[in-house]
Amino acid sequence: MKILKQIAVVFFICLLGEVIAQIIPVNFPSSVLSMVLLLAALLLGIIRIEHVQEKANFLLDNMAFFFIPAGVSIIENFNYLKNAIVPFVLICFISMIVTFVATAYSVTLVMRLLGGQND
Amino acid sequence: MIDLTAVYASPFFSITISITAYVLGHLIYQKVKSPVANPLLIAILLVIAVLKGLGIPFEVYRNGGDFISLFLAPATAALALTIYSKITILKKNIIPVIVGSAIGSVVSMVCVYLLCKLFNLDATLTASLLPKSVTTPIAMGISTSLGGIAPVTVAAVVMTGIMGSVFAPLMIKIFKVTNPVAVGLAIGACSHAVGTSRALQIGELEGAMSGVAIGVCGLMTVIFAMFI
Repeated sequence: MKILKQIAVVFFICLLGEVIAQIIPVNFPSSVLSMVLLLAALLLGIIRIEHVQEKANFLLDNMAFFFIPAGVSIIENFNYLKNAIVPFVLICFISMIVTFVATAYSVTLVMRLLGGQND
Repeated sequence: MIDLTAVYASPFFSITISITAYVLGHLIYQKVKSPVANPLLIAILLVIAVLKGLGIPFEVYRNGGDFISLFLAPATAALALTIYSKITILKKNIIPVIVGSAIGSVVSMVCVYLLCKLFNLDATLTASLLPKSVTTPIAMGISTSLGGIAPVTVAAVVMTGIMGSVFAPLMIKIFKVTNPVAVGLAIGACSHAVGTSRALQIGELEGAMSGVAIGVCGLMTVIFAMFI
C-alpha cells in the first residue's frame, strides 16, 4: 500500500497542477506548476519526504525512459525537420556555448562582488 | 495463426519494446562510457528501427506509448525533490543561483531567437527551439504553449544535452572558468540533466549546482516564455 499511497500523492499534485493551469490566465505548463506545488508542500512541511520518496525516486531514476514515445514521434515530423537540419544542429551548438559562457561569467562576477567567499 | 497486427496493437507490445530498448541503451552506454552514446538517444533509435522494420505506424505504437508519456508530468513534479534535497547548498548560494539561472535562461532564448531569424526559420520551428536549454518535460510544456512541435523540442533538448556533456570539460578550459559554483550552474543552464551527469563526474559541488540549475532555469524559462 505504501507505493500506492505515494502514487496517489504525486498524481493528486499533478491533477492540482492541471486545475490551477486552467484557472490562471497565463500559459503555464501544468507539470511545472506541479513541481512548484510539491516543492512548496515539502518546504511548508505539508508533505514529508517519506510520503513520496520511493515513487519520486522511481520517476527521477528512470526520467529519460518516459521521453521515449515523445522522441520516437519525431518520425512523424521527420520530413519537416529534414529541410532545416543544418540550422537546427548549428542553433543547438552555438546557443549551448553562448549560454555556458554567459552563465559562467555572470556567476563568477557576482561571486567576486559578493566577496568571493566560495572562491 | 497469430494475428500480428493485433499483437503490435497491444499496449504491452509498445511498452515492452520501449523498456527493452532503454535497457539496451543503458548497457551500450556503460560499455562505451561516452556521452555520445546517450541511453535515451539509443533507445529512441532502436524503437524507430523496430517500428520501421516491422512496418508499424506510429499511431499503433501510441497504444502503449501514451501510457509511458503519462508519467512525464509526475516525473517533472518529482524534480521538486531534487531541488529540496539541495536546499542547504541552494540557500548558501542563492544570489549566484538566481543571477546565473536568470541570465543563462534569457541569453539562451534570445540567442536561439536571433539565430532562428538569421537562418530564416518559421515561427513553429522557432517556438520548438526556444526552450531547448531546459530539461525535457519543462521544455515540452513551454514548446506546446508557444505553438511549437513537442517532438522537435525533444530532439533539440537531447542534442543540446549531449553536446553540453561532451564539450563541458573543453569549455571550462577554453573560457578559463575556475569557480566550481560557476562551472556547475553554467553546465546545468546550458545542458540540463544530461550535462549534470557530466558535472557530477567533475566534482560534487559542480554536480549539485548543475542539478539546482535544472530546476531554477526551467522555472525561469517558463516565466520568461510567458512574456513572448
